[in-house]
Amino acid sequence: MNEEYLWDKSGEPDPEIQQLEQILGTLGYQPKTFEAPTNLRPTRRYRYLSLAAIAATLVFALLAGFVWRSLHRKEADLPTTAASNPKAIPLTTTPEVVTPVEKQTVVSSKPITGRRRSQFVAVNARRRTNTTRTPSPEALLAKEQLTTALRLASEKINLAHRKTLGPAQLNQIRNQHKLG
Amino acid sequence: MKSLLKIPETLLVAALLVTTALTVHAQDPRIQMAHLDHLAAKASDTVDVNIDERLIQLAAKVFNDKDEDEAQIKKLVAGLKGIYVKSFEFENENEYSTADLDSIRTQLTQASWSRLVNVTSKKEGNVEVYVSMTGADINGLTVISAEPKELTVVNIVGPIDLQKLAKLEGTLGIPDLGVGPAKPKTKNEQ
Repeated sequence: MNEEYLWDKSGEPDPEIQQLEQILGTLGYQPKTFEAPTNLRPTRRYRYLSLAAIAATLVFALLAGFVWRSLHRKEADLPTTAASNPKAIPLTTTPEVVTPVEKQTVVSSKPITGRRRSQFVAVNARRRTNTTRTPSPEALLAKEQLTTALRLASEKINLAHRKTLGPAQLNQIRNQHKLG
Repeated sequence: MKSLLKIPETLLVAALLVTTALTVHAQDPRIQMAHLDHLAAKASDTVDVNIDERLIQLAAKVFNDKDEDEAQIKKLVAGLKGIYVKSFEFENENEYSTADLDSIRTQLTQASWSRLVNVTSKKEGNVEVYVSMTGADINGLTVISAEPKELTVVNIVGPIDLQKLAKLEGTLGIPDLGVGPAKPKTKNEQ
């Protein structure tokens, strides 16, 4: 048997191998051009689905952006809303009680807020988020009012308490306090 | 026929609703003090505080929990529905009339209100403390302090601890006169 034929088909062929080649040769790869079947049609359903998915994503992103922006705007507008509506915190305190912060909030009648403000003032979003952490003037005013009210209430209750005790008992308590 | 029968039923339901609303309104521990506003013109100093539940909650957020006094106030105001104060300080005596006070006292004659303290003094004036009760709980407080040159009305709506409120004296910039429950001593004092 000539092995050269098996290697590069250069030597004398073996008839048995030739027979095998003829039998198995029909099963080998035969290059030919691709022909698409004529009855096959591209379906459009999948294209619509992908378009719908893209549209849904865009709508969702727009909605999320709108909600986020409106939430941030509400937070930013909170202090100025109080200023534009002074009736929300009716206060007629004594002149010495009123702090400069209160004066500012009551005097400013029409502040530039929200979208109008963004037209005129360059706003740093990061900075605005930081300012929301500081208490708003409305909250500070409410705190001051609350403290004033509680101070007065406490003072008057204690006054009533002192008067019910009377001067004799009061002195007795004071003396006990000194001795103790 | 059926529609005719329905009319008295509707009237009955409406009457029931009106009665319920009136009863609820009658039990509301908020008192009206707007009629005292005319005194502001005569007064040399006026304090007018109107804080509703929303503002109380807003203010409570500002109180610092790390500060002992502020934490105490925050705890005290939790659950309150409103605090209303009108205080007038006059240059001269007898600037307000008894009618001004009577209109407040009339509101406090309702069943839920009871007078806790009434101190009368011709020289120093009167102090009255009223509490509104629902069962065993206080749901409202009114203090009327009528001094010769000063008139103060405080109305607190909601559950309030009187003892804690009285303790606030000394913590809010008012000197403690040593009356009332003793404060726990600090380490330095011991």
